[in-house]
Amino acid sequence: MQVFIAQIINGLSLGSIYVLLVTGFNLLLLVAMIIHFSYPQVVVFSMYIVWIVLNATGNNLILGIAAGVLSSIALNVLCAPLFQKVMKNRGDVDINATMVLSMAIGMIITDVLSHAFNKGLPIAFPEALTGSKPFLRIGLISIMPGQVWSLLMGIIAVGCFFLLLYKTRAGRAFRAIAEDPAGARLVGIPLIKTGFQSYALSGVLGGIIAVLLAMLLHSASPGLGEQISHKVLAVSIVAGLGNLVGGLVIGLALGILEALVQGYASGSWSNAIAFVVMLVVILVKPKGLFGIKV
Amino acid sequence: MPLSLYYYLSITAVNILMSWALYVPYRVAHLHFITVANMTISGYLSGYLVMNLHVPFGWALLIGFAVGGIIGYIVSLFIGDAPTFAVVMVGFTFIYITRTVIENMDVIGGTMGMFGLPNIGGSPAAHRWFIIGILYALVLVVGFLIFRFDHSRLGRAASAIFVDRDLATSLGVDIKKVGMLLQIFSCTLAGGVGVLYGFIYKSFHLDFFTFALVGIFMTVIFVGGYATQWGTVVAAPILYGFPLFFPPEVQSWRIVIYGAILILVLVLKPEGFITRKFVHSIGTALSRKRENS
Repeated sequence: MQVFIAQIINGLSLGSIYVLLVTGFNLLLLVAMIIHFSYPQVVVFSMYIVWIVLNATGNNLILGIAAGVLSSIALNVLCAPLFQKVMKNRGDVDINATMVLSMAIGMIITDVLSHAFNKGLPIAFPEALTGSKPFLRIGLISIMPGQVWSLLMGIIAVGCFFLLLYKTRAGRAFRAIAEDPAGARLVGIPLIKTGFQSYALSGVLGGIIAVLLAMLLHSASPGLGEQISHKVLAVSIVAGLGNLVGGLVIGLALGILEALVQGYASGSWSNAIAFVVMLVVILVKPKGLFGIKV
Repeated sequence: MPLSLYYYLSITAVNILMSWALYVPYRVAHLHFITVANMTISGYLSGYLVMNLHVPFGWALLIGFAVGGIIGYIVSLFIGDAPTFAVVMVGFTFIYITRTVIENMDVIGGTMGMFGLPNIGGSPAAHRWFIIGILYALVLVVGFLIFRFDHSRLGRAASAIFVDRDLATSLGVDIKKVGMLLQIFSCTLAGGVGVLYGFIYKSFHLDFFTFALVGIFMTVIFVGGYATQWGTVVAAPILYGFPLFFPPEVQSWRIVIYGAILILVLVLKPEGFITRKFVHSIGTALSRKRENS
């Protein structure tokens, strides 16, 4: 029973990271109207920036976290004109072109990480960030600081995001574009400016996720982004592309599923089992369990 | 034949064939990355058949094609008319699952891979000629089939689906049937190419079948031009050969170079370099020249 509870806690903290990732991904999908497949690769790139700054400043956490968030915003905003140019070229019919562009960006990020940083070897984050002692220990259950932070920050960030979306003017503009871009333009909502805001906002989310992932996993490798990006796309498809509430439910469910499989089966099979479950759902319901919102 | 030339010719042929395997289902807007998983499955299976059960290479190759086709058929029953992103995701999940299963199967070498596959045709030199011969014969046959498809009613139906699914349905096109057919063709081709890919190096290793491979095939299609089969024929040899002119330290950044080229092309020439209009104008110019002479 203790193993089960420990794995549920692990799963919730991992799941909250997936929820944040899917939220950032869906925000770009709904407002900027792009499938930013390599958004998690941007996050992993920011993890590397956090690592570099921590190493260079003798583990100055504030500078490290700020660098992570800023790099994520910068990378997202820098990519925005490319996406907008491709959208303009293809018209709003072919959203797939943005997915291909995003895959190309992901290819570059992954390859740069595997050549230019730490000779392509995995990086380990210092204890100053990850914490060395468990936050709480009861029998087999030990809760690490990274787990508590990711769960807390997950709840706070998603809560703030929903507040922004439903209680502010900017949020109303986001929702209007997601609902009907042509109608939103007619009532005077600037599509390009609001699109840029969504890139910046998902950049902020990406930076926070990078720090939380570093705290939770204690390490990163060039291939991590690819692996997470496939899971994020899978979660969004299983939930229903662009469905924020669906993403929340399925993100948490995937985290718990993965943690339970890790607890009871061989580690190397855990990813495969999670993917098999998602594959079955996608094959049976290609439009997702909660319905597409794009 | 020098080893470097052998690798250049054989990998170029593999890139052409695999990019065509992506090109065909992309005619209905399906990015069918499951082809890379099919390469892996059929390749490893043929390696096992030849090494452990001493099955002749020809039979192993045919079984590779058949297994690819069967997997393609089963999967297409579910995603024959699915949206693009669902098809992409099914491909990626298949690649992950395949890799994990192979990693955990000691009988086919697990993480170590399979080495020491026999020479086809006796000597190493004969093996190289044999592989090159089969690959380019396959390029001719598949190229001819795709050419016929592009100029058939089915090809026009696929174009209609790509542009507007609702319109295609109202014109009486069976979207699922066309999607299934193209996916099965693509998977069958990928299965056979997977077998040949391993026999080029006389070994199978999971490092041969990574996500970078997806990136390479995708670059070939989108840089060459996704609207005609000729784009792939032009782009595959150039893109594979282009980094070879650089020093080894630059060559190791091959994927970054491909990614940058892909981004530039998507932004500046969205349809790729060889467009339908371009092919049509060349055809018109050639027929005029023939008439004049």
